[in-house]
Amino acid sequence: MRNKIKELRTKMNITQEELAEKAGVRRETIVFLEQDKYNPSLKLAHDVAKSLKTTIDKLFIFEN
Amino acid sequence: MELTFKQYNTIRLIVVMILAMIIGNMIVLKNFFIPIILLVISSLLLIYLRKNVKGVIADERDYAMGGKAAFLAMQVYSWVAVAGMFLFWAFSDINPFYKPIAMTLAFSTCILMLLYSVIFRYYNKINLTDKKLIYSVFVLALFLAIFLVFSLRLFSGEDNWICQNGQWVEHGHPSFPAPTTNCD
Repeated sequence: MRNKIKELRTKMNITQEELAEKAGVRRETIVFLEQDKYNPSLKLAHDVAKSLKTTIDKLFIFEN
Repeated sequence: MELTFKQYNTIRLIVVMILAMIIGNMIVLKNFFIPIILLVISSLLLIYLRKNVKGVIADERDYAMGGKAAFLAMQVYSWVAVAGMFLFWAFSDINPFYKPIAMTLAFSTCILMLLYSVIFRYYNKINLTDKKLIYSVFVLALFLAIFLVFSLRLFSGEDNWICQNGQWVEHGHPSFPAPTTNCD
């Protein structure tokens, strides 16, 4: 599973720290997410998508 | 008073270091009352400080990692304890003090496994049942029963060494050698 978190975050001009605060997680978790090193729960995926003003299906790309 | 996560971690580290120093000294002085009080006070202090930390201390990734780490730590401890238990038991003829060490390792592994099973089942069932209170009381009662059984076994004095006429005399079948201290 890939994601566009870094791309959208850069577009919105917000830091990892700010995104983490909005999503209610630690900054390290955002680092892991951006590097595709962690698969978030549905709730976290929703919270991150909401923080980046997008939807889960647009933010996360599922690959077979 | 608001703290950052870094400040909280620094304070926690200092508290642990001070605790370790005091407890170490108190054990040497055979004083167990002060360490227990200090443990309670420091735990309450850390809980209070934790509540005043600004931001997220731990999130779902930390809990997921914590669960994996705890499971692995439990497995490693169990294997090491069981291997150690067999070794100490095998060499208990050379040194009789190895026997209680082997028994402690065996019992601690059993208690750890039992606790893990009970807690796992609790978390597995608690979200599915509507009778959360009844289930919680049942699990608590089970814990208390286990604690009571082990306490009775450990402190009953059934298998122990008794001081009689200036000599240590076997009472039952103690699994450890007679105390080396003077019997008055």
